[in-house]
Amino acid sequence: MLKARHATGLVFFPAYDWEISPTHPERQERLLYTQDQILEEGLLDIEGLHEFKAGLASEADINRVHFCVPDVAHLTTTSHFISAGGCIEAARHVLEGDVERAFALVRPPGHHAMRVVQGGRGFCNINIEAVMVEWIRHHYPRIKRIAIVDTDCHHGDGTQDIYWHDPDVLYISLHQDGRTLYPGTGFPGEEGGPGARALTLNLPLAPGSSDEVFLLTVNELIRPVLDEFQPDLVINSAGQDNHYSDPITNMAFSAGGYARLTELLNPDICVLEGGYSIEQALPYVNTGIILALAGLDYSYLREPDFDPYKLKDKQQNIDYTKQLCRMQLKRWRDRPGRPAEARLVTRQRNIYYDTDSISENQDETFRLCPKCPGTIRIDSSVDYGPHALCIHLPRQACAACRAQAREWFESAGSNFSAVYFQDQERDEFIVRKR
Amino acid sequence: MILGIDVGGTRTDAVCIAGREIVASAKVLTGSDLVESIIGVISALAIDCRQLSRVVLSTTLSTNAIVESKYPRTGMIVSAGPGIDPHHFFLSDDFYLVSGAMDHRGREFETCRPAEVAAVVAELKQKSVTGVGVVSKFCTRNHAHESQIHELIKSDFDYISLGHLMSGSRNFPRRINTAYYNTAVMPLQERFVGSVKKALMELGINANLRFLKADGGTYMDAAAERLPVETIMSGPAASMMGTLARANSRETVLVLDVGGTTTDIGALVDGAPLLEKGISVGGRKTLVRGLNTRSVGIGGDSVVAVVDGELKIGPRREGPPVCLGGKLPTPMDALRVLGDFGEGDAAAAYQALAGLAAPLKREVDELAREIVRLTASSIHAAARRYIDELNAQPVYTIHELLHAEPVRPAKVILVGGPASYLQKYVAAAFVEPVEVPERPEVTNALGAALARTTGQITLLADTQLGRLTCPELDLVMPVDRYCTLEDLKKMGIEALNRNIAVLGLSPNAQFDVVEEHSFNMVRGFSSTGKLLRVKIQTRPGIIREWSQSC
Repeated sequence: MLKARHATGLVFFPAYDWEISPTHPERQERLLYTQDQILEEGLLDIEGLHEFKAGLASEADINRVHFCVPDVAHLTTTSHFISAGGCIEAARHVLEGDVERAFALVRPPGHHAMRVVQGGRGFCNINIEAVMVEWIRHHYPRIKRIAIVDTDCHHGDGTQDIYWHDPDVLYISLHQDGRTLYPGTGFPGEEGGPGARALTLNLPLAPGSSDEVFLLTVNELIRPVLDEFQPDLVINSAGQDNHYSDPITNMAFSAGGYARLTELLNPDICVLEGGYSIEQALPYVNTGIILALAGLDYSYLREPDFDPYKLKDKQQNIDYTKQLCRMQLKRWRDRPGRPAEARLVTRQRNIYYDTDSISENQDETFRLCPKCPGTIRIDSSVDYGPHALCIHLPRQACAACRAQAREWFESAGSNFSAVYFQDQERDEFIVRKR
Repeated sequence: MILGIDVGGTRTDAVCIAGREIVASAKVLTGSDLVESIIGVISALAIDCRQLSRVVLSTTLSTNAIVESKYPRTGMIVSAGPGIDPHHFFLSDDFYLVSGAMDHRGREFETCRPAEVAAVVAELKQKSVTGVGVVSKFCTRNHAHESQIHELIKSDFDYISLGHLMSGSRNFPRRINTAYYNTAVMPLQERFVGSVKKALMELGINANLRFLKADGGTYMDAAAERLPVETIMSGPAASMMGTLARANSRETVLVLDVGGTTTDIGALVDGAPLLEKGISVGGRKTLVRGLNTRSVGIGGDSVVAVVDGELKIGPRREGPPVCLGGKLPTPMDALRVLGDFGEGDAAAAYQALAGLAAPLKREVDELAREIVRLTASSIHAAARRYIDELNAQPVYTIHELLHAEPVRPAKVILVGGPASYLQKYVAAAFVEPVEVPERPEVTNALGAALARTTGQITLLADTQLGRLTCPELDLVMPVDRYCTLEDLKKMGIEALNRNIAVLGLSPNAQFDVVEEHSFNMVRGFSSTGKLLRVKIQTRPGIIREWSQSC
């Protein structure tokens, strides 16, 4: 009889009563065929595989990560709370030792949601991985270093944004080159803030990349970096839209390739992100990921129309990827140490919320600090909309950063419609409205 | 009059019902020939057999045959396509993999090759195999390959089970086990039904014959010959249905069946037992619908020991209690010392407990009280875990996650041998009231006698492919794109009414729609069809003649 080598938990929440709109890729039908395949394969009967009920995240769980403008209720539906809550349940069962690994097979996804949320971006309102990560760090202080490997076909610009300045979170993203796909970012030069250089590593891959290219990135870059970073937890944002049949991307990855990637990556927790080839890819890719997580044989798994000859990588793509991995490995190895002295660093950005057609301007001030991860002040404004001031104080904030954050909070002028103070250390979220 | 017979491992019990009256009951020891035990117990009832309109049997025949591997060599022809390597699910060398594959919507992507099937047939015949199961992956979406293989082999074998006729549920490995065991016990069941019918005739009984199934429902003899696997684990079902007949309420009831070795925990919700999509037999999971129960290793005859200065009860059983001639102390001995249990040798029980009490420096009476308290609290803890597990079962819609009613028992019913002796101690452990039904010894036979017929079907309409299927009824027909969930439900109920005999249902069966789903299929940016799914069943329950008369 089949027996999992690694006890594996599955939180499956297909939200059969939720959609963005009837013909939107994020609709009721999305995980239906995946469920058919999982049940027909009898995956949940395998010894060592356990299905767990999804839960509900709380508003406090979301406020630990985001600045929702004007507030959480305006930007979420119940499904967002369950999707994030499903991730939290997956993490809980891993950290409590009920299982070794877990997969949160939930929707809607979250990796395009940034720290400040004024609306929906790329089908995401709430960053479900980040909500889970902050829940983990709050409830399990022994977990200090976390690596997030994002294998969705789209660049996870939201997750990158949230951990841009965080020296304890390594974010690696594999994605289709931003010049050819939404959200148009994720270039190698995007390497993290001045206090966390090279802790963001981007690998934009050429359209048409297939199994060989993907597995190359794991062997030549991701594995060596993870081995050196030695995270307490590895999280995989397991988007499935690199599949050759995905309707909104241009890659050529297979279900077998996804399974092998999962096996090599050896993550503690996987979280479903995108993936919209709901009939031809998702049933097989999800089966492959579950088998690989559990340490079971997946060699018999393939898509009905799988043709390895059609999906062979071009030599020039392989050469390009090798070169890219070498370059990023060098960036990682040459990363600077902690800064010698504190200073304020600023940047200006424009962020576009495609789902809600909102254009946001952000003025960010970051206190680069030698003693702690540093406090952040974000002045966020949208045309004809709210003008918010968001102050983030990280865990283990030093006294100087705390004083700076307090000063920002208290001196904020009446030009802001709301001032938010996110104190991760005290687990408080204070809002002052005009 | 209705006759219910429960053929258990050691005892065969019978009860005869007229309206709401138990007019007779009897028991005999179960012998090696089950038919003789049945004749014996009917004779012992001393009733006018001509008055019987119905005989319902609950037996361990198929369960024991499977558990003890006492069945003829059985072949399996399996087609799978990619996924988990199907060889993992092969239980013997008589399993064969052939070409043919369907995807999750039932679209063929690899054809079935008759020449391969013919070669398998030849090999199985060489091995003198007379029964074969046929299962293909996703046959509940499209059973064309199973039907095709059936056509090719039907003249070569006496007993054939097709996967899609076993259940409409999705689970390929379980379907393989189910079809395999079903085929394996077909010859046995056929002989048994034949002999029972003959024996009943000789006793002057001209009544219809039904069998109790694992889900606490019954079906007619002809259906039992076709799907004998459904009679597995009917013993616990009989006990649960008997308890339901006694409880006769729609409140949520926690049922504790305390035996010698184990306590089985189950629940009655809204007047029916809580069901599970597939139960296990012989350590293998099947698609046979059964009761949702958990078993814990603590019962009246569990061994009481002292481990590292702590009392420990079970999970071992080493024969009867000391007061009844056993060697090791048990909770029954503690009940004997306390005077709750009046049979057997009190002095021997006292001696056995004294042996444990000395090293613990305790009084024997005090230790006896602690043993029964610990027995009751262990059962209570297991029952709590069971309820917590029920409430932790995954759900797949926002509505269910937010609004599903948790299972909360209003009372506890204690059945089984030690039930009445343990009642006051178990009652002390629970907040809910704890009851013991009257005449516990006839509970199982009563359950068999009073259970309704049950059956269920699954209907799927895929309007994009223009196909409607009902695996359990072997139905495939075209469907147009205007089909709605309401149409499908109506068609399902009509199909059920036409197929009452096939499923072995009573002609006045009432149907419930238990699951209904409708999904719009969108390809590109336009709607291309609908996927409609419906499950219709007759709910297990107690026949109206009994439940309405009180």
